[in-house]
Amino acid sequence: MISELLARLRFLIFRKRRSELDEEIEFHLEYAITTRIAAGMDPAEARRQALIEFGGIEPAREQCERQRPGWWIGTVIQDVHYAFRGFGRNPLFAIGVLITLALGIGATTAVFSVVDRILFRPLPYADPSRIVSLGFVHSLERQEFVMGRFYVEWQKDQAPFSVLAAQSTGVHNCDLVEDNPAQLGCISFQANFLPLFGISPVLGRNFLPEEDRPNGPRVVMISYGLWEGHYNGDRGILGRMINVDGDSVRIVGVLPRDFQFPALEAADIVSPFAFDPAIQLKVNGGFGYPERVFARLKPGVSVAQSYAQMQPLFNGDLKWFPLSAKSEIRLSIRTLRDKETQDVRPVAWVLFGFVLAVLMIACANVAGLMMARGAARQRELAVRSAIGASRGRLIRQALTEALLLSFAGGVTGLAMAQALIMVFVRLAPTGIPFISRAHLDLRIASFAALLSCLCGVIFGLAAALQKPGLAALNAKASMSRSHAFLRRSLVTAQIAVSIVLLSGAVLMLRSFSKIEAQNLGIETGGVLTMKAALPWWRYNTDQKVMDFYLRLETSLRRLPGTFAVGMASSIPPGTGGSQSFRYSDLVVQGKPPAPPGIGGNVTGRSVTPDYFRALNIPIIRGRNFAEQDRAGNEREAILSRLLAARLFPNEDPIGKRFQSDGFRGGAGTIIVGMADNVKNNGLTDQSDPEMYTLRRSVSDDWSGNRLIVVIHSVMPASTIEPWIRSEAASIDRTVPVEMEPLNQTISRMADRPRFETTLLGFFALTGLVLAVVGLYGLIAFMTTQRTHEIGVRMALGATRANILRLIANDGLRIAVFGLALGLGTSLAMSRMLKALLFHVSVFDPVTYIVVPLLLSLVALIAILIPARAGIRVEPAVTLRAE
Amino acid sequence: MPQSTDLLQGTLDLLILQTLALEPMHGWGVAQRIQQLSKDVLQIGQGSLYPALYRLEYKGWIRSEWQITENNRRAKYYRLTQTGKKQLATELATWDRLSLAIASVLGRATEASS
Repeated sequence: MISELLARLRFLIFRKRRSELDEEIEFHLEYAITTRIAAGMDPAEARRQALIEFGGIEPAREQCERQRPGWWIGTVIQDVHYAFRGFGRNPLFAIGVLITLALGIGATTAVFSVVDRILFRPLPYADPSRIVSLGFVHSLERQEFVMGRFYVEWQKDQAPFSVLAAQSTGVHNCDLVEDNPAQLGCISFQANFLPLFGISPVLGRNFLPEEDRPNGPRVVMISYGLWEGHYNGDRGILGRMINVDGDSVRIVGVLPRDFQFPALEAADIVSPFAFDPAIQLKVNGGFGYPERVFARLKPGVSVAQSYAQMQPLFNGDLKWFPLSAKSEIRLSIRTLRDKETQDVRPVAWVLFGFVLAVLMIACANVAGLMMARGAARQRELAVRSAIGASRGRLIRQALTEALLLSFAGGVTGLAMAQALIMVFVRLAPTGIPFISRAHLDLRIASFAALLSCLCGVIFGLAAALQKPGLAALNAKASMSRSHAFLRRSLVTAQIAVSIVLLSGAVLMLRSFSKIEAQNLGIETGGVLTMKAALPWWRYNTDQKVMDFYLRLETSLRRLPGTFAVGMASSIPPGTGGSQSFRYSDLVVQGKPPAPPGIGGNVTGRSVTPDYFRALNIPIIRGRNFAEQDRAGNEREAILSRLLAARLFPNEDPIGKRFQSDGFRGGAGTIIVGMADNVKNNGLTDQSDPEMYTLRRSVSDDWSGNRLIVVIHSVMPASTIEPWIRSEAASIDRTVPVEMEPLNQTISRMADRPRFETTLLGFFALTGLVLAVVGLYGLIAFMTTQRTHEIGVRMALGATRANILRLIANDGLRIAVFGLALGLGTSLAMSRMLKALLFHVSVFDPVTYIVVPLLLSLVALIAILIPARAGIRVEPAVTLRAE
Repeated sequence: MPQSTDLLQGTLDLLILQTLALEPMHGWGVAQRIQQLSKDVLQIGQGSLYPALYRLEYKGWIRSEWQITENNRRAKYYRLTQTGKKQLATELATWDRLSLAIASVLGRATEASS
């Protein structure tokens, strides 16, 4: 009898594999029972009491299991297995979360890595926020400059700065003359320049004070790039003599690899500035030469305070300037970052905002997906809880799932970020500071990953944390009201944000298409531009320069297929090299001079007669310069329509004479014709009035070395380029020649807006896709949840159209509300885009019609697809399923 | 039957170690012994006895081996290890200090120490 009892007992406890613990418990119970029987208890009662005394066997077993060190690893593995099974059953959910996270993290990290250097990262100098650029600015030169005379004074009398250091105004071309010649960029700065920035050479030393003096020893420092590229990183380079532009100089130092010049110039060779106060007070009309000046603020002095302290000095300097110039000159002091990133900042901020918005949408999406999953699993959780899973276990399970997804999403996101950065750097036009140095920023990657994972974890846990009630067991799973409201609000917000992104992107797109489609006023097809870099130390007189170009012109004209060969100091639509002057400097004979300081700038260009034919700029009145005029004595000019209308309203300008700053005295310049306007101030800025002067074959007209040859040919560029090269070589084979089709030059000018538009468009699309996925997910989910209700309605006689309306109404309400919210927000925020837009109003009607239409269309699709599933519900099936 | 008292947290370990210090014993024996010695005041819920034994074993304070009982039955016997002995000494010292302190607070120091 006892043995039978024990056998049953064994069966009761040890259905599973016998373990030591099982045997031990069995032994224990056996003793407990036999002791009781021995004490005279009825066997059945003895067994009952023994079991009661022991308490729960299963919990005890579990408790023992938990004593084992590291037992939880097993449960984690279980959880992971379980999570993977779950993903497998519902791959759409897993993929949705994964893609959302990847896009969110990837896009945010990539863009932040790019804008970080522009907006946030300290510049690579010691205490960079205390370094300022200071000097004069006026309408023709917006970068600070200081004339030598004033620099002498400032050094002596200034108070707010601990140190001032000057640099030459820019890089000039120079030639490295040796067996392995190269054309390089040369610049010069003072001996205290590097210490001001807290930089020391990576090899060798900085200039000594005695080297930074007029007629001091000839020494240079070279850039890391030149050292590594040209001299193969030879550590014995110090002390070597090299020949720069015919002068023998000694290398004393190598600049660090990551050193960047404060104005971001690309220079290879630095020589001492050798500032000579005595000379500066004499040359250039007593003004001295212009230079760039940087300074370090004394501790405790702000930029504004330094400005106030420099103002008296500046006012004293003003008396040196002619009355006409005074009103246009200002003092400017700004931090290095402001100087370096001035024109990319607006777009960097906009981009940053776009990316934050995308991250927000992504987070909302993850949250929404997690909530939907939680709601759909309420029943499952209730079942698991009922069969004994503890709440801690359920929460751990939910957490494991969320973390797994987040981790996978994070990894994918990082890969995506890296790929995007590579794409950005590839796409990026030149002139965006620092972009080539952009690299995956781990801080922001972790931030983005953390944020989106947090969304997932919080909303994933929300479902698990709710105590699964009995209700969830018997009723079909239903989303609680508060969750439903939260999800709707999330989706509404997503739509609103994506509308803001979309309107921004469409505005940019419209602006870009206007840039592309505008009439430049010149012919660009079949036009080739050519630049010859004449070494100035060999072509040291204007006569030599003129001879070179005149010979070149003659030989190019002989090339087959050549339609016209013009030469000019610069060409539109860029501003590079054009000689701007003030409108008020033009004095027409027989008219009172214009009041100084008004009228803005005029673009000046010195051209040969064929320039107009080469670029196909129509002469609309008067005549073009004639070939024979080139040999004449008369100074001739052609005005643009705009300039003619300004100078001679309601008059015929032809034959009138004027004086300009350049050529005072004599008979002045005679106006022979009027040309149509061309775009001459960059692609996006308002064009300036323009004046063409005839470049005569007189050496005076060829000063300033800079010239562009414009060749208009019926032959393809690839055919004539080698011809041109050989023609140039036959005149002087040492002169490097650069050529580019004008089309390409102009397309390159549009690179910036194209890049910006592409980026913003990409993010807007990402945002839109995510938002629409969110909407789709919500509608699909709600439709599934309402299957039963739909069944009942249909059973009671609702038509499919009724049902469709029922479901669609819900979605449309969300879409319309989000749309209204988004439109309002973007109208309010679009002012921020103003700086980036070209000829497009921030309230551009087309944009605000296209965007809602586009969104309505995709929203409708996102609603109708799941809604179709709803109307296919078979009432009989649904009702029976209950 | 005298009223049983819930064991203080951590006291169970001490009791088990003390019991095993006398001689190696199986789980049932440990429970019986504690009950006997405490004159039925301390009744160990066996649900917590075995987890405690396992815990102590994982900590290396006791060791287990299968032996044959006097009734010719296989049973798992636990014995104190060297570290277990040291641990017991420490815990006893702690217990003495603690109980004395509690007794002092309760104003029964003389009674408890007698």
